[in-house]
Amino acid sequence: MKSPQFDYCKPDSLEQVFSLLAQHGDDARILAGGQTLMATLNMRLSEPALLIDITGLKALGGIRVQGDRLYIGALATHTDIENSALVAQHAPLLAQAAPHIAHRAIRNSGTWGGSIAYGDPAAEWPCCLCALDGTVHLQGPGGARQVSATDFFLDLYTTALQPGEIVVGADVPLDSAADWVGFDELARRHGDYAVAGLAVAARFQGTLAQRVNLCFLGIGQIPLRARRTEALLAGKTLDAGTIEIAVASLKAELDPLPDLTHRADTKRHLATVLARRLLQAAHASRSAIPA
Amino acid sequence: MASFHTLHVEVNGQPQKRSVQPRQHLVDFIRNELGLKGSHLGCEHGVCGACTVEVDGRIVRGCLTLAVQTQGCKVRTIEGLSEDGDVRDLQEAFIRNNALQCGFCTPGMVMAAKELLEAKPDASREEVREWMSGNFCRCTGYHAIVDAICETLAERARKGQKVGA
Amino acid sequence: MELTGDIVLAAARARVWAALNDPQVLAACIPGCEAVEVVGPLEKTARVMVKVGPVRARFAGRILLADVVEAERCAMSFEGSGGAAGMARGQSQVQLSDEDTPEGPHTRLRYTVQASVAGKLGQVGGRMIDAAAKQMADQFFGAFQAHVAPVAAPAAEPLAAARSAAPEPIAPAQPAQAAGPSTQALSAARPPSSCAPAATEWLRVKWFALGALATALGVWVGARL
Repeated sequence: MKSPQFDYCKPDSLEQVFSLLAQHGDDARILAGGQTLMATLNMRLSEPALLIDITGLKALGGIRVQGDRLYIGALATHTDIENSALVAQHAPLLAQAAPHIAHRAIRNSGTWGGSIAYGDPAAEWPCCLCALDGTVHLQGPGGARQVSATDFFLDLYTTALQPGEIVVGADVPLDSAADWVGFDELARRHGDYAVAGLAVAARFQGTLAQRVNLCFLGIGQIPLRARRTEALLAGKTLDAGTIEIAVASLKAELDPLPDLTHRADTKRHLATVLARRLLQAAHASRSAIPA
Repeated sequence: MASFHTLHVEVNGQPQKRSVQPRQHLVDFIRNELGLKGSHLGCEHGVCGACTVEVDGRIVRGCLTLAVQTQGCKVRTIEGLSEDGDVRDLQEAFIRNNALQCGFCTPGMVMAAKELLEAKPDASREEVREWMSGNFCRCTGYHAIVDAICETLAERARKGQKVGA
Repeated sequence: MELTGDIVLAAARARVWAALNDPQVLAACIPGCEAVEVVGPLEKTARVMVKVGPVRARFAGRILLADVVEAERCAMSFEGSGGAAGMARGQSQVQLSDEDTPEGPHTRLRYTVQASVAGKLGQVGGRMIDAAAKQMADQFFGAFQAHVAPVAAPAAEPLAAARSAAPEPIAPAQPAQAAGPSTQALSAARPPSSCAPAATEWLRVKWFALGALATALGVWVGARL
């Protein structure tokens, strides 16, 4: 199908963007990569009056180390992140997750900021951000502010973004030698929306896991941190017995919503499959490091 | 609300200047304005890959890209890619392996495979399959397409070794 | 899809029934509701702008009421068209019963909905329909609870503070939304995020058809007029 009529503009300043958003409200939509928006418009599931192309705002691009964080600008494409040496070094979880995002042609256009702003519960970046306890950077006519990732994703497609604000970037802590990260997702076709996915960010002392962040995608309305299971794992060695305890805890803690293709109990099971895989991999990896 | 924008874009090495509506996506522009029918439309929401074209050296979904977004860019379609000869070996491998029947998916397949050859010259068969998951085919059952790509990868690797690059 | 709900509202049954049949209450509580109109004694229409993620679909729905027992129960069938987006249809049953508590008269509201969504929204958005319907139900009942029991709201806050328990605000502590006129609910400037944490805390509903919410609640409006 063809998209409906709309006007298009490409401002060269954030002030212009805010002014247009204030003027048009929800009748104007932000266009960056457009991989979600254009599909929506082509299907006529939305008919905005105006598209505001923000790809001219160079300040919103870039990947750089800022203090003890890695900052990624909203306009960084998924491929930029996939190919970035800085990301590979400082945020390897993102490098692991990137190839799972849709397909290369979509990754070449789609953006970090767009994925975060939509907050799709099956998206990779919101999940990774929550696993890493990242921070989302917002800007609006009232100024700039930052929101921690776990406070940013509130409900289905509902974030802490206020009307008139846009996501300008997000940062994550720098990976250290004591960290282990892992990402995996299960989908019927590679690149499809995942049925279930898991991002693990753990800090170790030897083979002892001081903390294990477990964030699931595709399971709830938002990226889901399994806090109760995380608490169980803190301070433990991730041997077979501990992993089984974690799996049992997840079965009790996770209350997945079903979707068109999978029942809730299937999703719950698949979540535990991912947990086993990644926790085993974490343990094997840390065990292989000479003391 | 039918506002028109003047678009300056280079397509297959030729500068083009056209008046376009914002709503027109890149493939409709290429096909209807420029008469280049090699790029196809299957699903028009980014899933099937038949619309895959190259913008500034990278493949994109032409159906999810507005023509106006390519202001000042260099676009290459299957016609341009064929003329340039970059993937002549891949295209011949497609023919040898019977990797096309109706040919509807083929331009998109070749475009996607082109970027794989550049980005992952030592891709395994599994990696080829994963990379090409973004392109649907209804005729061939995919194996022949994967065979053709793997053959090309292997041949390029062999040539690379011979030249001692 | 099927959705069931079982909630206790801090108000007497008659008050709950009246509110459920009040077009202004419904227009204010249904997320994105733009209009509710009486067409006949048992027939209503409603228009709802559904916003889920990138989707903006205006649903126009028609509801037919049946089996009405005043202040107790009713059944309805509904269908709604979302234009190019698709259609929704189904039926639902609602039951009210008294639930006496030390804090005064309460009402237990039980509902079931069976619905289907067809067309583009069903195909492309099928993955999200259940979650979206649940969210709309959560939002509706969060606003509805705040409307029927607003007096409880200020009292609830010190109670929450005294317990210093859950970090999330409890449901009634959202009087500003329900008390406001329907224009507030329609305003694009009010983010749904502000009521999400409250609603999810006390609501254990399952899924709600997108069109069902718009149409089902609108119909009760005029049936009692």
